Amino acid sequence: MTPEIIVQAEALTKQVSSPEGVLTILSDVSMSVRKGETVAVVGVSGSGKSTLLGLLAGLDLPTTGRVILNGTDLSRVDEDQRARVRAGRVGFVFQNFQLLPSFTAMENVMLPLELAGRGVAEQEARLGLTRVGLEDRMAHYPSQLSGGEQQRVAIARAFACRPQILFADEPTGNLDENTGGRIIQLLFDLNRERGTTLVLVTHDREIGTRCERRLELSAGRLVGALH
Amino acid sequence: MRTSSGVVRGPFGWGIALKSISLAWRLLMRQRRAGDLKVVIAALAVAIAALVSVMSFADRLQRALKFQGSELLAADLVVRSPYPAKAEWTAEISRLGLQSAPTVSFRSVVLRDEHSHLAEVKAVGEGYPLRGRVRVAADISGVDAPAGGIPTAGTVWVDGQLLALLNTTVGGQVTLGARRFTIDKVITLEPDRGGEVFAIAPRLMLNIADLPSTQLIQPGSLASYRLLIAGDVVLIDAFRSWMRKRREAGVGLHDASNAQPRFRTALDKGEQFLGLATLISVLLAGVAIARAARNYAQRHLDTVALMRCVGATQGTIVTVFVTQLLVLGTVGGAIGSVIGYVAQQAFVYLLPGLVAGELPWPSLTPAGVGMAAGVITLIGFAAPIILRLRGVPPLRVLRRELGTLPNHIAAVYITAMLTLAALVLWVGRDLVLAGYVLGGSAATILLLWALSLLTLRAVSGLRRRMNVSWRFGVAALARRAGSATGQIVAIGVGVMAILLLTLVRGDILQAWRSSLPADTPNHFLINIQARQLEDITVFFRKYGWPDPQLRPIVRARLIAVNDTPVEAQDFKDAFAQRVVQRAANLSWAESLQSDNKLVAGNWWRDQERALPLVSVEKQYAEALRLSLGDTLRYRIADQEITVTVSNLRSVAWDSFRPNFFLLVPPELLREYPASYITSLHVPRSQTHQINELIKQFPNITDIDVDALLRQVRGLVDRVNLVLEYVFLFTVLAGIVVLYAAMQTTRAERRQEVAILRTLGATQSQLSLGMISEFVVMGLLAGGVGALAAMMVGYGVSEYLLGVPYRFQVGTWLGGVAAAVILVTMAGLLGTYRLWHTSPWHSLRET
Repeated sequence: MTPEIIVQAEALTKQVSSPEGVLTILSDVSMSVRKGETVAVVGVSGSGKSTLLGLLAGLDLPTTGRVILNGTDLSRVDEDQRARVRAGRVGFVFQNFQLLPSFTAMENVMLPLELAGRGVAEQEARLGLTRVGLEDRMAHYPSQLSGGEQQRVAIARAFACRPQILFADEPTGNLDENTGGRIIQLLFDLNRERGTTLVLVTHDREIGTRCERRLELSAGRLVGALH
Repeated sequence: MRTSSGVVRGPFGWGIALKSISLAWRLLMRQRRAGDLKVVIAALAVAIAALVSVMSFADRLQRALKFQGSELLAADLVVRSPYPAKAEWTAEISRLGLQSAPTVSFRSVVLRDEHSHLAEVKAVGEGYPLRGRVRVAADISGVDAPAGGIPTAGTVWVDGQLLALLNTTVGGQVTLGARRFTIDKVITLEPDRGGEVFAIAPRLMLNIADLPSTQLIQPGSLASYRLLIAGDVVLIDAFRSWMRKRREAGVGLHDASNAQPRFRTALDKGEQFLGLATLISVLLAGVAIARAARNYAQRHLDTVALMRCVGATQGTIVTVFVTQLLVLGTVGGAIGSVIGYVAQQAFVYLLPGLVAGELPWPSLTPAGVGMAAGVITLIGFAAPIILRLRGVPPLRVLRRELGTLPNHIAAVYITAMLTLAALVLWVGRDLVLAGYVLGGSAATILLLWALSLLTLRAVSGLRRRMNVSWRFGVAALARRAGSATGQIVAIGVGVMAILLLTLVRGDILQAWRSSLPADTPNHFLINIQARQLEDITVFFRKYGWPDPQLRPIVRARLIAVNDTPVEAQDFKDAFAQRVVQRAANLSWAESLQSDNKLVAGNWWRDQERALPLVSVEKQYAEALRLSLGDTLRYRIADQEITVTVSNLRSVAWDSFRPNFFLLVPPELLREYPASYITSLHVPRSQTHQINELIKQFPNITDIDVDALLRQVRGLVDRVNLVLEYVFLFTVLAGIVVLYAAMQTTRAERRQEVAILRTLGATQSQLSLGMISEFVVMGLLAGGVGALAAMMVGYGVSEYLLGVPYRFQVGTWLGGVAAAVILVTMAGLLGTYRLWHTSPWHSLRET
């Protein structure tokens, strides 16, 4: 039996207005990701990878086309309903970590669990932080952590809810090579342990090769799908 | 010359300065395109608009109120003298191009057949009154209208009461001295009569040209000469100083500021309130600008770091940002001034009849002050922050946490306070009021700062026990403790200022209302004889009027002070001369009347009921230079009595109750011949009952002050309306403060909302988190701000405005609730858009 599709993009186009006129960032992109799959979206800077990720996760809306995430057509629901679709089911890892500066590491990891109404937030967060090797940094604020440590908090937060799908946007982009390598290893290890679907955006072809499938974007168009 | 580094230097580094200025301009222009500057200019413009509108409106109203004061004087300036105006005076008046009109007042008996009555005669010259209008009616029951001029030769205008007393009508003949006159009109309102209510018998007004033919004014006659003068303020001032230099004995100069004591409360308190409202607008503008400047500096940290990186010196950084501040200050100030002017003008159109007559055009002063205030406030509040930009290390380009602005820079508070003090003194010109406002603000800031930090720490400790939304709000506050304290201080000062204005306005209104209740006496009955007291009481009861409060009057003439005989010419002060010339009304009282206040000495005790003591009104004591323990000798009929000054009183002359300059203990004058005075309220529809009383007791004189009372009430109502609208403007300035305070953390909130949204937070979770943050802020700012407002309000009301202050927990709670609601609403409105913004945009921007 074919695993079911968790996210599907149909003829996505994204345009923005700029002083020079309308700029097309994505043009007629269609793709789908099946449950449990790991997919890398690769391409050079400015090729539209991150924009595609934002659309797939429902963080932004396409100009035309549609995205179906977990069975919901994201263009047909409002911002609040899109948030509900993500709550507890979708995890994120960003290039610039995006931790809440006013929350401790522990509170940051608890956040998605609490937003999804899970009762055992603290226990789960403790386990998650221990798993990423930050058991003695739980009460630290993001500003007191190094870049690598912050990204580990972000990974612990991303997996805290045991999401069905994880979106990662250049997760090593802000880290040195060594740290980046360790972070990617951690990400793939956790992904394997939890059986999560992974959509990873990267300009690093080598990281891309660690995924089961690679989609290449160039100037906003899908130019190749590699297995 | 060219330095080793290759930078072109002019003499004294002007080349660099010019380059920096040009760079500042180019950077500003680029930001303009980026839309970044709009927020700063808008905050500045709105703050200055509020300031300018309040100032120029207050300026116009103050001049209008002065004008109304002039109406009560019938002139802008009155020269009062015991002899006719000297030729030099009138020559100077003509030279200056001012208008003038003479009046002569004296008492004389008016005869008609067998009837006769004492009248207050007033001979008026062409042009009288120069300000305000005399209103007359064709007969006693006729409808009144403004008189077109003055009585024509051979005719007189009289009070309706004189007609009744002489048993005649309009058209009848009366004799005054050696001349017969025809009664032509009935006077219903005489603008400059307010201060004389108790001194007068009914009025008879004639043309001054007819005065010699009466042969009543002879050398040594007791007449009061007034020269009414009106015209341009500057010229009036010129004439005033010219007269003052002449130092003529017995000559008094009167203008609206010392005009009718009966209107003083309304005018004084109104003006003081406008002054306070202006000060508070300056304060609010300052706070708003300080917050806006901080946001501006904060946003430029990266620019500065980059400029430092590519070689800009600290001097260049300072020149660039100070230039930008000056440009911003000027642009914001100019826009604000224009908006302020338009707003206050719109205001005037919205409020026709706000003041009687035309509102004078606004002067340019407020616009000038607005522009200057824009620049000064921006520099004073922002310079210390901008100077900090010098110290931003180039390394910030790599490590963004470096060189952030500290949240509390002592220099900011100090320069801000000094700037504010300078502005407040410049704009308000009232040192004591400025002291209260500044002291209150400083105390509020300190208290808010300390309490905010303590509270934020305390609630931060509780966050583990809160749900995610509350924790989000509280954690956000705790992490931003510095900027949150800054926000709370700004909002708290705003709450303090607005609430202070509300409280003081309430107190003023309350004082007015209680001083002129609906049943304020509108008739005074004088000359009641001791034998009539019972009959009068019976008459009162017949009509269901409350029993009369009869106050005795013993006529006495002052003959010596501290055993030294006194003569009018011993005093330069015109009021003192009149006091010595005229008979005084001595009255007695058991206790102090509520509209009197002891200012020195003690009221008599029971065992002192018959002692020769006297309580003297303050102004009277000042005129005669009396102090406690001085003795005054009076002649009463053919006896003399010496009394010792035991206390001094201030009297609220605008209470419309019988009041006296001199009071003695109740037993002292029991044996002396006294007449009585009483006051009562009679609805206008029942005035005929008063006529009946006069018929039954013909010796009693009725003084109808209904028109005067209506004049005072009308003025109070208009001043009140003005205060309400000025208050509204100040509230607008307060909202700007709130807006500026909320803007401070907008960028951080944007990121937080985006992260929460990404992680699946719903709108209700987001809003609950924010509400919790705003509620804590509102509670703190409102709690302390309202408390400070009550304390400062107490000082301003009790010690400055002289109106009683009532502490009310309800007001405090109201202030706190209003702060919480407003902060929460403003906060939610300011962040509402973020909830609907695509999280992706926000995340990418950070």
